[in-house]
Amino acid sequence: MNGKKIKNLLLIATLVINASCKKSFLDISATTPSPSNDPSVAEDLVTGVYNSLIYIDPGGGWNYDTHGISFIAATNIMSDDADKGSFLDDQPGIMDLDNFTTTPANAFVAALWNGYYAGISRTNNAIDALATAALDSATVKRLRGEVRFIRGYYYFNLVRFFGGVPIVTYVPNGPKAAESDTTLISRASVSDVYNKVIIPDLQYAIDNLPLKSQAVVGRITKGAAETLLAKVNMYLGNWQNVLSLTQDVINSGQYSLVSDYSSIWKEAGDNNSESIFEIQTGAYNNTDGGIPLYSECQGPRNAGGIWNNPTFPDPTGDRGWGFCTPTVDLINAYEPNDKRKAATIIFSPVPPQTGDTLWDGYVIPTGTQNLYYNYKAYHSEKLESFYNNRDREIKNVHLLRYAELLLMNAEAATQVGGDAMTPLAAVRSRAGLTTTSATQADIWKERRVELAMEHDRFFDLVRQGRAAQVMQAAGKNFVAGKNELLPIPATQIALSGGRLSQNPGY
Amino acid sequence: MKKNVTIRSPHSYAIKKALFVMKLSFLLVLVSALQVSANVSGQATITLKMDKVEIPKVLNAIEKQGTYRFLYNSRLKSIQQQVSIDVSNLSIAETLTKIFAGTDLTFKMLENNLIVILLNGTATQDIPVTGKITGENGESLSGVSVIVKNGSGGTSTDNNGIFKLTVPENGVLVISYIGYQTQEVPVNSQSVIDIKMVTSNKTLDQVVVVGYGTQKKIDITGATASIKGSELVKQPVMTATQAIQGKVPGVQIISSGQPGVQPQVRIRGTGTMLGGANPLYVVDGMLTNDITNINTADILSVDILKDASSAAIYGTRGSNGVIIITTKQGSSGKMKITYNLNLGIQNAAHVVEMANNVEYANYASAASGNPILPGTISTNWYDEILRNAFYQDHKISLSGGTDKTKYIVDVGYLDQDGIILENNFKRFTLRSNNEFKISNQLRFGILASYANGVSRNVNLGAAYNDAYRAAPIIPGIVNGKYGNTSLYQNVGNPILDINDNDNRTRDNRLQGTAFLEFKPIPWLTLQSRISGDLDNNVNKAYGYAFAADTVTFITPGGNQSSLHSNLNVANANSFWWVWDNTATVNKRFGEHNITVLIGTTAEKYNATDLTGYRLDVPPNPSLWHIDNGNANSSQNGGSGTVWSRYSYLARINYSYADKYLFTGNFRVDGSSNFSVNNRYAYTPSVGVGWVISKESFMQSQHIFDVLKLRASYGQAANDVTQNATAGYTVTLTSNLPYFFGGTATSGSAITQIVDQNLKWEINDEMDIAIEFSALKSRLEGELGVYDKKTKNSLAYVLIPSTLGSQPNPGSSIPAGYVLTNAASFENKGLELALKWHDAINKDISYYVGGNITFNNNNVIGLNGGQPYIDGPVGANQPYVTRTDNGHPIGSFYVQKVLGVFQTVDEINSYTDKNGNILQPGAKPGDFKYEYNSDGKLDSVYAGSYQPTAYYGISLGMNYKNIDFSVDAYGTMGGKIYNGKKAFRQSLKDNVEKSMAYNRWTPSNHSETEPSANGGNLPASTYFVETGSYLRINNITVGYTLSPALLQKTKVISTLRIYAAAQNPVTITKYSGFTPADLPGSPTNTGIELNAYPTPRTFLIGLNIGF
Repeated sequence: MNGKKIKNLLLIATLVINASCKKSFLDISATTPSPSNDPSVAEDLVTGVYNSLIYIDPGGGWNYDTHGISFIAATNIMSDDADKGSFLDDQPGIMDLDNFTTTPANAFVAALWNGYYAGISRTNNAIDALATAALDSATVKRLRGEVRFIRGYYYFNLVRFFGGVPIVTYVPNGPKAAESDTTLISRASVSDVYNKVIIPDLQYAIDNLPLKSQAVVGRITKGAAETLLAKVNMYLGNWQNVLSLTQDVINSGQYSLVSDYSSIWKEAGDNNSESIFEIQTGAYNNTDGGIPLYSECQGPRNAGGIWNNPTFPDPTGDRGWGFCTPTVDLINAYEPNDKRKAATIIFSPVPPQTGDTLWDGYVIPTGTQNLYYNYKAYHSEKLESFYNNRDREIKNVHLLRYAELLLMNAEAATQVGGDAMTPLAAVRSRAGLTTTSATQADIWKERRVELAMEHDRFFDLVRQGRAAQVMQAAGKNFVAGKNELLPIPATQIALSGGRLSQNPGY
Repeated sequence: MKKNVTIRSPHSYAIKKALFVMKLSFLLVLVSALQVSANVSGQATITLKMDKVEIPKVLNAIEKQGTYRFLYNSRLKSIQQQVSIDVSNLSIAETLTKIFAGTDLTFKMLENNLIVILLNGTATQDIPVTGKITGENGESLSGVSVIVKNGSGGTSTDNNGIFKLTVPENGVLVISYIGYQTQEVPVNSQSVIDIKMVTSNKTLDQVVVVGYGTQKKIDITGATASIKGSELVKQPVMTATQAIQGKVPGVQIISSGQPGVQPQVRIRGTGTMLGGANPLYVVDGMLTNDITNINTADILSVDILKDASSAAIYGTRGSNGVIIITTKQGSSGKMKITYNLNLGIQNAAHVVEMANNVEYANYASAASGNPILPGTISTNWYDEILRNAFYQDHKISLSGGTDKTKYIVDVGYLDQDGIILENNFKRFTLRSNNEFKISNQLRFGILASYANGVSRNVNLGAAYNDAYRAAPIIPGIVNGKYGNTSLYQNVGNPILDINDNDNRTRDNRLQGTAFLEFKPIPWLTLQSRISGDLDNNVNKAYGYAFAADTVTFITPGGNQSSLHSNLNVANANSFWWVWDNTATVNKRFGEHNITVLIGTTAEKYNATDLTGYRLDVPPNPSLWHIDNGNANSSQNGGSGTVWSRYSYLARINYSYADKYLFTGNFRVDGSSNFSVNNRYAYTPSVGVGWVISKESFMQSQHIFDVLKLRASYGQAANDVTQNATAGYTVTLTSNLPYFFGGTATSGSAITQIVDQNLKWEINDEMDIAIEFSALKSRLEGELGVYDKKTKNSLAYVLIPSTLGSQPNPGSSIPAGYVLTNAASFENKGLELALKWHDAINKDISYYVGGNITFNNNNVIGLNGGQPYIDGPVGANQPYVTRTDNGHPIGSFYVQKVLGVFQTVDEINSYTDKNGNILQPGAKPGDFKYEYNSDGKLDSVYAGSYQPTAYYGISLGMNYKNIDFSVDAYGTMGGKIYNGKKAFRQSLKDNVEKSMAYNRWTPSNHSETEPSANGGNLPASTYFVETGSYLRINNITVGYTLSPALLQKTKVISTLRIYAAAQNPVTITKYSGFTPADLPGSPTNTGIELNAYPTPRTFLIGLNIGF
């Protein structure tokens, strides 16, 4: 064999290998689904949007949170309904929220910002995918309506937490997208957030979603969209809209109050006739699929020593971490004989008094860390679904209830004329109370006890313009003109190159 | 100096000639063997006067004077000349010089006053010479270079080891072959010269496997190192790389003491942030990341390509250096059987001394303000969980072969207990390497190994944290019941931590390579090599159910309980294949020697895994199967990974007169893990060398035998795809449930923002070095400097949350970050290695060697990236490292402790510029921290784990049949974060004995130790300690029975017995378990949190050959 022949042979061999390998050999399809290799992703992405209501971070809401511990802290704990709880040194960041000493570096505030924008990103991606989805147009509209409702809801929470925030309603193109579109990292005005995102999103949902009776349980309905839009209008002071939207929901005949207030927060009360917008939880992959830490972080906490409660398989451990403990002020806000007090608050014993016996037979033993706990967050591991993962206990969270709708209807009536008494009386009579007057003050008082620790009180006080007055009276360091809003997270300001402006006072 | 030259009887010459040749051959042997002592004799002087006589007569006359004898070829024409001579009392040399003046004769004086008369060469003719060149065992060597000294001819041997060459009859042949001593053989008119080559011990003569080929160290222009398997097997370590520690400059090994765990290797510093800092391993051509399946005793050599110019041939895999492992081959000859045994015992080399019950009670009482009674029990938790562990390692090897086939079969069994309860590793290995010579042009080989590793892992994290924190006043285990630490202080009982979980991994791995080599003509070699690596890994982790009741504990209560048993089974399968096709041309044109390699290589990796989980599986191990658990608790998971690469490679080696060297490398790598726009990476390198000692001006000096200068520049890239699979593609995170109609529906989301322009990391490296061998090869050394810059290094960059990134549990990329090419680093260093070996007399020889590397690692650019924080400790210390411009990767970034407040006045006078007290809550005995001018707490860079220098020392001595050696290594300038101390977080946690005694009290005004406290301290310089140490790593004494004695047995051919101590002594100021073995990723290395204490091993061994 001579040299030339060999060279030719080599050349041919190389070419053959090249030709067969170069293209197909290196083009490997991803082993996880993507829009490019799985055409059914649009519906999955919509489910992923719903999933963001439960969690963004399955490990808990420490860095990304929509309805976990950061949400509880910035709503209930920050209000006069509840205190931080647990033991003194536990989570100083939540203590700062409770005491209005929050700084822009607060990790829980950052978790909310991150969590809601992550949720918004999921909505934008789903809307993007729906545009090209191989689904019939009615289904696409319904799914888009559901997603836009959730986006509107997320922006509504953002605007209430932070004021004007960046409006992101499309999928940014890569990590450097903000270089070409600075609105991604610049704050829009409060009115733009309402008028350009929240209201159009909710209106689209109203126009495209079915009534509750026509929808699969858990999916967003027209009633939910109308209720939320009514609530948005209430914050904007458009009382006529509030009245007409709430009236529309009442007239739809889809909702009614349940007779037993306390049943609402049990598994048996999930998706009852009163439910308008409720975060769905359940068992997934044979384990608990609840909001990470939601129940656990509010559960009664062992202060040390032995809990000897023989009625449970685990006679010794904590029931939870003891955050979000109701205040004496809240307890005192209930009128005598108000049934809602016992349904809202777990009374833990001051020795030698014995503690509450909860509805599932569990006796609050001596040795808890705190005197009161949030009954609405309690999950019975004994009588309700439990698959051994206490971090993710199955517990639906009620974000909009018919009772609140009735109170919105009543409040609107006090502002633009109408019957405030009937809806107010309906709410009160279920609590075992009679009704004599229906002024705005009466309704505000009613909202507090009816919706106690349902994540509304602090926003309500700000809406009502009396946050400073009430909080200062409660002995908090509330500074008017500052503490109505949370600080914009310092990291995000830094990442925006200073484009994001800080809220006043921080 | 031994040369083995034999001269075969020529078949075409007359007997007379034959006799003549034999005479000459005798003469030549003498010449060769006795040169050393030439010029020594010749005491007697000569007085002689003769006129016009033939030279033989003159010589005859001198012989008659009685002292000298002459040897010459009487057929030589020159010897027939007539000469005149008149000398008196002249030395023999001067006399002969006068006699031969004007002739072409010369002479050589040998021992015993024998003098050879030789032709002084010019008037000679060329003759054809042929011969066979063989190795030490008689095997023919092909491709051996045979050239004429100072001449122009040259050739190399064919496949049968035969060479043919036309040379001047008085010429000298220079025969060289990598791995063998170069020989110079005078032709002396012989037409047939057979030569037996002798393996070389000189570093610069050794063969280095350079990737897709081999080269002699002297010819290499890049930075490489080579270690023989025989050097590695001396140490009782599981993975070969552990035994390299301290042996090679520029190579740092960070071992975990845990059985079955592969050590980390850092070659010339850390050049990447995001994992992928370990070198590429190549086992007989198979690329791999894990060599725990390789029995060290199977290894022939480990070659390390350190710099970019040598690693460039591995392209995108080379930037962290390449470790090439070549396993042993059989050799033709009669079958050899060897058996090797190691038996040892291991224990923890150093355990931190904790407070006893009384010391603890005093401290905890002071910390909490409540009296805590010491009780009567004093538990040493480390004594409870640590043990003396046994170690055994057996190896049987069978090898042999014929001209056509060679084989070796190795069987090994290793059983190593961990020094912590229940921890164990067992490994069975089987290797069969075979080579077949199909024809003179065709060679086929297959090298295959099977390894079965079974490890029982323990929950080290929990056990170590808990053993450190658990109070000594709680009993460990009494009559099968555990002391209840969690009831007392919320810390698990460390013994129960270990016993409540049974975690076993069984790994079955089949790895092998097959090659076909075709040599159509002597200067061309075509090779096709296909390698595969099949791995099946099954992990079964069983968690026992137990309640916090009196069945488990002495006292019931606390929260250490597990209501349900659980079983987790994970099954992972992978297959990785590599196919190399290369063509190598080797040609010599006179003084020009050129080797060209071109080739292609393709590889593909395919892996799947499957996991299952159920609760309530019965505790009997034979029932540990998923089906035996509660079906309503089933969970499962599974995923897959696929990637492929395709590459072209080329290398050219050129040398002129073996003096001037040039190497060029080029590789193109294509990878499926990068987008089409960035799919191909190009890695070129060049190197030049100058063997100064071959220059004529060096011939007169006697210091250097070899002196070589080399310099190289190259690029190698870092293939990080193992950490960031398909980092550029948008993928979905699935299994995000929601509940419609009460039923779970699985959703998905796009959770990561990806950089579609993700590229390779590129390493640019300059390397300059001097290599030498001096003082008759007794001193060998290498001094080099390097400057390695890593560009486009992948980094996680935080992006605004409004862009939508979020946690993705399936990804290694932290939430909020994007993986992008954002960072650049620099590693600059100096390496020095020296070795001295000598024999004092025939009974005593010794060597002393050492090496040191200085390395300076620095982040030089984050290109818009942010400082990267890492190093989670826990308690009050979420992160303790920071990777930022101007500092080493993974530097500790913590608050600075200025001292301990002694008085209230001191606290009150420690104020900011506005007079505000900086630490208003402090009490005397608390730490005083540094604040900046704005009155804010300051963090400072407090060093990193990366040492500024690391070194190794080895000594050895042979006295008759006894051999003795000591190896040591150490580092300087690194820091360690005492993470376990920092993790302390409760008033009831135990303390180190030293803390109990040195703590600040109103009467003991310590400036360094705070008063009694419950931990939870912020990350500070208090926890940063020196990482410098010197470790005596190995001491071995061996005795080899003399062959003469063994011959009588007629069965045993070799027998060596030995005893060794591994890691007997470490000298350090570090207060923790060990400063040496703290693995971690580049950004969090050096935090001692739950490190496995380094084991110390004492062993005896036996090596026997039949």
